[in-house]
Amino acid sequence: MRRRRTREDRIVDGVNYTLLAIISIVMLYPFYYVFIASFNLGSDTARGGLYLFPRAFTLNNYEFFFNDPNWTRAFLITVLRTIIGTTLSILFTCLVSYGLSKPYLLFKRVYFLIIVIAMNVSGGLIAYYVVLRSIGLLNSFAVYVIPTMLNLFFLLIAVSFFREIPEELAESARMDGASEMTIFARIIMPVSLPLVATMCLFIGSGQWNSWLDSAYFVQGQSLRTLSYRMIEVMNQTLVSSDTAAAQFMTNLQLTQFSVQATAMIISVLPIMCVYPFIQKYFVQGMMLGSVKG
Amino acid sequence: MKGSQVVSSVDSVTGIREDRLLRRFRKQASLQAFVLLGMAFLLVFSFAPLFGVIMAFKDYKISTGIAGIFTSEWVGLRYFHEMINDYMFPTLVRNTLAISLLKLVFSFPVPILLAIMINEVRNSVVKRFVQTVSYLPHFISWVVVVGMSYAFFSTEYGLINDALTSLGIISQPLDILTNPDSFWGLVVGSAIWKEAGWWTIIFLAAIAGIDPTLYEAAEMDGAGRLKRIWHVTLPGMKSSIVVVLILSIGSMLGGGLVGSNFEQAMLLGNSINSDKSQIIQTYAFNVGLAEGRFAFATMIDLVQSIISVFLILTSNYIARRVSGTGLY
Repeated sequence: MRRRRTREDRIVDGVNYTLLAIISIVMLYPFYYVFIASFNLGSDTARGGLYLFPRAFTLNNYEFFFNDPNWTRAFLITVLRTIIGTTLSILFTCLVSYGLSKPYLLFKRVYFLIIVIAMNVSGGLIAYYVVLRSIGLLNSFAVYVIPTMLNLFFLLIAVSFFREIPEELAESARMDGASEMTIFARIIMPVSLPLVATMCLFIGSGQWNSWLDSAYFVQGQSLRTLSYRMIEVMNQTLVSSDTAAAQFMTNLQLTQFSVQATAMIISVLPIMCVYPFIQKYFVQGMMLGSVKG
Repeated sequence: MKGSQVVSSVDSVTGIREDRLLRRFRKQASLQAFVLLGMAFLLVFSFAPLFGVIMAFKDYKISTGIAGIFTSEWVGLRYFHEMINDYMFPTLVRNTLAISLLKLVFSFPVPILLAIMINEVRNSVVKRFVQTVSYLPHFISWVVVVGMSYAFFSTEYGLINDALTSLGIISQPLDILTNPDSFWGLVVGSAIWKEAGWWTIIFLAAIAGIDPTLYEAAEMDGAGRLKRIWHVTLPGMKSSIVVVLILSIGSMLGGGLVGSNFEQAMLLGNSINSDKSQIIQTYAFNVGLAEGRFAFATMIDLVQSIISVFLILTSNYIARRVSGTGLY
């Protein structure tokens, strides 16, 4: 039976669609504006009135970005920390979760109690900093990838995921004399692809976006990440712009804003690319996480 | 005689038990090794900082390393007094509370409304599109979000100032980024933009769980669209709303569901708007790392943590009394 649309239906739909259209524009336009600004000549953008399309199309900004040693280095460090940090975190978190997922594990209650305490109580950033300093992690690449190796949120999700995998799978391999490590690597991980995909997106984007560790746990330019460089440039535009670098950029008709926009697009692009493929997994992951609280 | 026999048999029973336990442990030794690696990790990165909190009550110098936390002299509540007598303290408390409360009040209803609006869309392509677009910013960093607010609000090159001036609506560019009076609005607004869409996922799932016959019954009774939303959709979301509200209040001082007060204050705060942008956490961080007053900064962190735990427990208690749903 097809319902007849009443006057109220039409009004509600009209208002609703209009509002949602406005919301969609508000969500998307900032991305779009930064995108066109990154392909527009900086000096032209500075004249104002750039709203819908690049007026003076150029690849100058991207050329500058990939020829500037500070930016390229920051970009490389960010790529490296994302790949290494995400891999380490997924492997370690899953390994620990695999042990915890066994119902016959001895002292299971003690372990979970320790985890719940660690999840809910924290010593604060300063005490954390003191610990990092005293174990010698400051000013090293390791500070990006070691302290994030165990993700407790995903640990709980992984434990309940692994419990769903039939024990017979592991048992038959155990009969053939496989070690637990082999079972984990050869049997458990391959059937856990949805979990790994979700972890990839969340932990990966966390690594890619992280700036606090780069700003406060390392010194000097050599280890800075993309996010940190962006902050640095933003602060320069806010305070002043009369440096030698500014002069150099003027010659190329770049502005700090056009370079900034380019860096933002480069920073957002990888996430945008993987996002559509992983979307269906993370909605499930989010629900699982929220039920666990 | 009898007594000693009993003792010895008990001894042998526990002996056997220990033996069995040991054998069982050995049998799962590799699994235990995996888990113990994780526990060792937590010991270093979660529990060491937790014990490190005692330096809030000590005359701690960073040069003495981690051992210094234990060997340095006790000073009791000296840093607590120092904190409440600090000239910044009232400002910090005001800013932290104001930003947290504003976020709670303005950002909490947004995902609920948005979920209802998205649910009212019949066309599934449009529905999927709006939903995807709404939580896109969840995955980008605060740094990029701040960069975007510069792109739109800067007095030099901001698009909004540019558009308003060229339309002749304003003659002077509006100072939004460095004006102390606009800081709270900027923080709350950009937090909603970034995170509200993300939380619609939970509410949409709650709506999806509502029995469709309820809608049919309501329609039979002559309820229009708005009445059905009010009497069927909203009550169906009640338990999710309560859970999310508890989570928001519990994590309020950190920024609630819409994310990090700390990151926002750190990135959007500057020397000009610091009167409205310095919060407890950023102050602790600056005092600790820039001025090297670690013990004092740890005390500030500690006080905030205690208030947070208190908030979590209270909100959970109230929720359970009011609606019968709690988290713990």
